[in-house]
Amino acid sequence: MKKRLYLELENCIGCRSCLAACTQCGGHEERNRNYVYDVNPLVNRQTMPLMCLHCENPACARSCPAQAIQIHETGAVLSALVEKCIGCQNCTIACPYGIPKFDHEQNLMYKCDLCIDRTKDGIPPMCASVCPSNTLQWLTDEEIENKKKQFNLDNGKWVTSMPYLEGETNVKVNLPGILQGITKLF
Amino acid sequence: MQAKAAVNQKPGNTLNNAFASHFAKSMFLSVTALAILSFIGTRMFTHVDLNLYGYMVGTIVFIGGFFYRFIAWGERPPTKLILKKGLKLLFRKSTPKTSVEHLATYNFIWNRGIYRWTQHVLIGWGCILSCFVTFPLVFGWMYFTMDDNGHYNIIAMGMKVMTVPADGIIANLSYNALNITAVMVIAGVCMALYRRLKNMQARAEQKFLYDFLPLYMLLLVSITGLALTFMNIFLHGAGQPAMSLIHQWSVIITLIYLPFGKLAHIPFRPMSVLARNYREHYAEQGMKECKVCGDQFVSVEQSKDVVDVLGVNAIEFKAKEGHHLAEMCLPCRRKYRIAQFSGFPTHEVKVKEANQNAKG
Ligand code: HEM
Ligand code: SF4
Ligand code: SF4
Repeated sequence: MKKRLYLELENCIGCRSCLAACTQCGGHEERNRNYVYDVNPLVNRQTMPLMCLHCENPACARSCPAQAIQIHETGAVLSALVEKCIGCQNCTIACPYGIPKFDHEQNLMYKCDLCIDRTKDGIPPMCASVCPSNTLQWLTDEEIENKKKQFNLDNGKWVTSMPYLEGETNVKVNLPGILQGITKLF
Repeated sequence: MQAKAAVNQKPGNTLNNAFASHFAKSMFLSVTALAILSFIGTRMFTHVDLNLYGYMVGTIVFIGGFFYRFIAWGERPPTKLILKKGLKLLFRKSTPKTSVEHLATYNFIWNRGIYRWTQHVLIGWGCILSCFVTFPLVFGWMYFTMDDNGHYNIIAMGMKVMTVPADGIIANLSYNALNITAVMVIAGVCMALYRRLKNMQARAEQKFLYDFLPLYMLLLVSITGLALTFMNIFLHGAGQPAMSLIHQWSVIITLIYLPFGKLAHIPFRPMSVLARNYREHYAEQGMKECKVCGDQFVSVEQSKDVVDVLGVNAIEFKAKEGHHLAEMCLPCRRKYRIAQFSGFPTHEVKVKEANQNAKG
């Protein structure tokens, strides 16, 4: 059963376990490829993670002159192939969410590859494996659909990937609760 | 598309019109060039080494695959842009230095790790040096003659370049050049294979055809090459004809594979010099300021180019504030996305983003 990464943004407690876990994935060379942001840093402690959403039509790959960014058959948009990336940084400018990172010393772009050596075998990515607050989950489409029913309060407040994103993505993002003034029952 | 291209063609460009495609033209020109070079090099085909005939056919098939692949690739909008603008900027002061660092000494691979650098120097230079020796021999651009007095003449393009004693250092180096490079390649490939066993980094994302085949092919070429020498010296040539065929076959397969798999980076890579020049030149011309924080984060030209390339792909990232998303610096673009989710304008809070680098 194909599973995907599913983000329930407001659960985030800002522990940054996902960043630490990301560094430990095979192939990540101890550097994390994801982000955690304070939503309103001067006022409260709400945080939200931000990671590559693995676009169905990835701007990063479309803008790459070297065809260094490959799309895996699972839909994951991979990190730059080390022997192909020519270091132009087009991808960093193209990504609508500012995800790809660039190492100037190594002349190499690196980005989330959805821990492809794990997810291609159905094992959840590192970030979802460690997230203690169920912000990052690894779910089947059916489970995501059930979530939708669970949170569907008949008030149009199911906030999910579109139209809050720029295009369809393989990772699904959701914000079903407190930030919209909805009490959420776990 | 086809019809449009035909209408747009400039009149009077007879050479281009004479060929059905770029492919046919490039193919024709290179084969002609090879033939002419061989003609001159072999003093009108009087010094052709027919044992090397298979290589000649292999090279010609390789050139076909090469152009097929590269013309398709050069037509992609982002590739075309960097190629076009990069070639115009080829003669910058920094070009020689960048080229050496990117294409000969591989400083950036050093920064990825000394192991990876050593591995690549062994494989890369092993192959490049082998080609420097082999190709001139195959196409007759270089050959050796022996004088009566025990001296070798090295003849390049039909002219005598050097006369060396047959048992001298230079002579020995040239007899053994291919053995030395074969050992380099074998060592490098073994390092690459060992890394796949030991290091999960190299294990992720690997496919047999893309990742292992080129390594095994390089190994096969080098080992059969060395075996030839071994048979010559220790077995008085026994088994040589068979081994020679296997060797020839492995080289030809490698050449034919080259434009399609991992090894395609060899002819692609010089583009990294173009990309560097492009970035340096246009950064001097003017930098783009982030629409939110005002930081200069990319050249105006590249920003425009990327927006155009995305446009060609029917990708249009308009922020509701009116600018393109690519006109925000990376931290602001990320905060802007958080703002879209939460409804609170995170990107407008004048606080530097928290440290985003976990230390593993
Ligand atoms: C034009 C100069 C060349 C450049 C700039 C270049 C660049 C690169 C880079 C950046 C990598 C990735 C290395 C890493 O991050 O570990 C690589 C890998 C590789 N290169 Fe080259 N290369 C060049 C020429 C060659 C040549 C002539 C060969 C010979 C066949 C070669 C064979 C390989 C192989 C087999 C790998 C893969 C190593 C592995 O799988 O671990 N390269 N190259
Ligand atoms: S989110 Fe950015 S980096 Fe990830 S696939 Fe989409 S364009 Fe590429
Ligand atoms: S930096 Fe590398 S991966 Fe990114 S667009 Fe340029 S060549 Fe492609």
